[in-house]
Amino acid sequence: MPPYKMWEIMERANSGPFCEDEAFIMDVFMPKMRQVIAKYGIAYDPANPVPADDALADAVWQAGVEFFGDVGVLNVDTHRIMRFDAAEIKEALYHVPGEYRVGYGKDARLFRQRAVEDAAPPFCIFSPDITCDEELFLPSCLAYLQEPLADGVCASILEESMGLKIKAGTPTELAGVIEHAMSLRQAAKLVGRPGLFLVAVGTAESDTGQIAVSNEEWGVRTSDSRLVGALTELKIDNELLNKAVHYQQFGCFTGSLTGPIYGGYAGRAEGTAVLQVAYHLMGLLVHQAHYQMNFPFHLHYTSNSGREMLWIVSISHQAVARNSRLLSVANGFLNAGPGTKMLLFEAAAHALTATVSGAHLWEAAPAHNKHKNYATPLEARLAGEVGHAAARQRLTRAQANDIVCQLLARYEPMIAHAPMGKPFPECYDVRTARPTAEYLALYREVKEEIAGLGLKFPY
Amino acid sequence: MSLIAQIAHFVQEGQENSAVQATRQALAAGCDLHALIDGLTTAMRQVGDRFERMEIFLPEMLLAARAMQAVMKLVEPEMARQAIKWEAKGTVVIGTVAGDLHEIGKDIVITMLRAQGFVVHDLGADVNALDFIRKAEEVGADVIGASALMTTTMPAQREIVELLKAKGLREKYHVILGGAPVTRQWVEQAGADSWGENAAQAVSLLEKVVERRRAHAAL
Repeated sequence: MPPYKMWEIMERANSGPFCEDEAFIMDVFMPKMRQVIAKYGIAYDPANPVPADDALADAVWQAGVEFFGDVGVLNVDTHRIMRFDAAEIKEALYHVPGEYRVGYGKDARLFRQRAVEDAAPPFCIFSPDITCDEELFLPSCLAYLQEPLADGVCASILEESMGLKIKAGTPTELAGVIEHAMSLRQAAKLVGRPGLFLVAVGTAESDTGQIAVSNEEWGVRTSDSRLVGALTELKIDNELLNKAVHYQQFGCFTGSLTGPIYGGYAGRAEGTAVLQVAYHLMGLLVHQAHYQMNFPFHLHYTSNSGREMLWIVSISHQAVARNSRLLSVANGFLNAGPGTKMLLFEAAAHALTATVSGAHLWEAAPAHNKHKNYATPLEARLAGEVGHAAARQRLTRAQANDIVCQLLARYEPMIAHAPMGKPFPECYDVRTARPTAEYLALYREVKEEIAGLGLKFPY
Repeated sequence: MSLIAQIAHFVQEGQENSAVQATRQALAAGCDLHALIDGLTTAMRQVGDRFERMEIFLPEMLLAARAMQAVMKLVEPEMARQAIKWEAKGTVVIGTVAGDLHEIGKDIVITMLRAQGFVVHDLGADVNALDFIRKAEEVGADVIGASALMTTTMPAQREIVELLKAKGLREKYHVILGGAPVTRQWVEQAGADSWGENAAQAVSLLEKVVERRRAHAAL
């Protein structure tokens, strides 16, 4: 995107139409969502969590574009709506390059847009997406960074630094974010992948925390990436804009991080899918992001591996892949915890759904993304392998739908009471950063079972 | 269908204009206000239950709550005129803690609490710990509710408890925590009183808590 747009965004954040928070949701967001769902005839089909309907995908795209154009994005600090007309949306989409070279040196990778049923494997970002104990941070980073399919890594989130509980916006956060950035960089060097694409740092909730780690020597580099989120739904504030502007000026890759809530203001599956498309446009136009990181989640379960959630993942990514060159990443949020078969089946279902729908992978957040230390690289490994297998054998959406339905049959009834599993230190040898024989055997057993459903793993 | 049943139905369906029109008719006909309030409370409890079972979704629940508010705007002056006293189930001061701007979970709880007859003071997001306590003191609250969606903002929940202790007010309020990363263990660590895994659970728990506290105070 041309840099002048950044100034345009700053101006619009202060001078758009006035609107209060409640009115934005009740009188702008909700009525427009009902209208576009009816106008474009969007309907969820539980029989096909991976729909193979191009017309439906295009309808979701059109609905998302119209919705975003009419609703806009509310800045809750200034109470101003930032709106973009059709020409501006087209202009922004026209300028999307569709690929970036990320990371540096021998570890650099091409991160490019994927098509629906693309034969190119997804770009795989491995991430635990959860907090961990301070003493486990480095071993956890080493374990994730050692994964050969990882094209990028995002580390755990620290809750403590030097024994102090980290609190956002305070000096403890500044201590924690630097510990996070330095430990991750150190781990990347230790495993011999010093230039790997890193998305960091999740420990920094505040803009100050993010700005503090921009450092080519020990921190986040311009070849790395940072995330900037949104407030529920289609809202931002000045602190988020501060992050977006800093990332542009520092020169790193920006990921727009959004998780539309199924059961929230967007309502059912149809609205959640339309909102996810709209978030891609918010990411492009407001955050001026290089890629969109999506974690739609269920209001009750905080996961996206259920049937209706997989449909949302599939149709929204198909909509984006078929109608733009936007880079889009699907973030698996899973119900079960590490060391369980259910988690591995869920990871496979999410990765397969996303891959054939044109998405890249960001795997994975186990145990409802809620419990400290409950994530390991092994479930992410299986997800990455499923993504590579599905792309390499050019699996169609219809074929994927069949496999996903068989995977759902294995875990769907347990979603409400998913097994918690075990934390990282019980699934991995912390000293060597390798999985235990027990978890490795379970992973192999599940992989074999999935292969029996029709996936041809390269190895 | 009686007028009261019609009003309850319109509220449940989020049909604000029809609910208001039917309420005007009911008031003009001199309907029993206690029966009307009971009917509305039952209707909104059913809305909350259907929301928890995901038979309806947040937009429908919000429209029902808006219709209920519109009806109450007509009913309250009539209650005052007839000198009918309505006792709130309890008073709750609630907000999202400092550094955190996520509000949807808190807002769902507020909608359900109000629907069940609680008076709720919503402090919004990014609220300083001391402001929770000041507001609770100002309005004579029974409960302080603090929401946090980020692990790095959860310490601000504990800060509320610590400030209550420092001010010698800890026993005066029931402190309930909420938010996606909040667990029972964290509630214990933070020194709070309870935790609602979801909105319905929080509302039902607070109903019991306030009832217990008031019974105890009456002894």
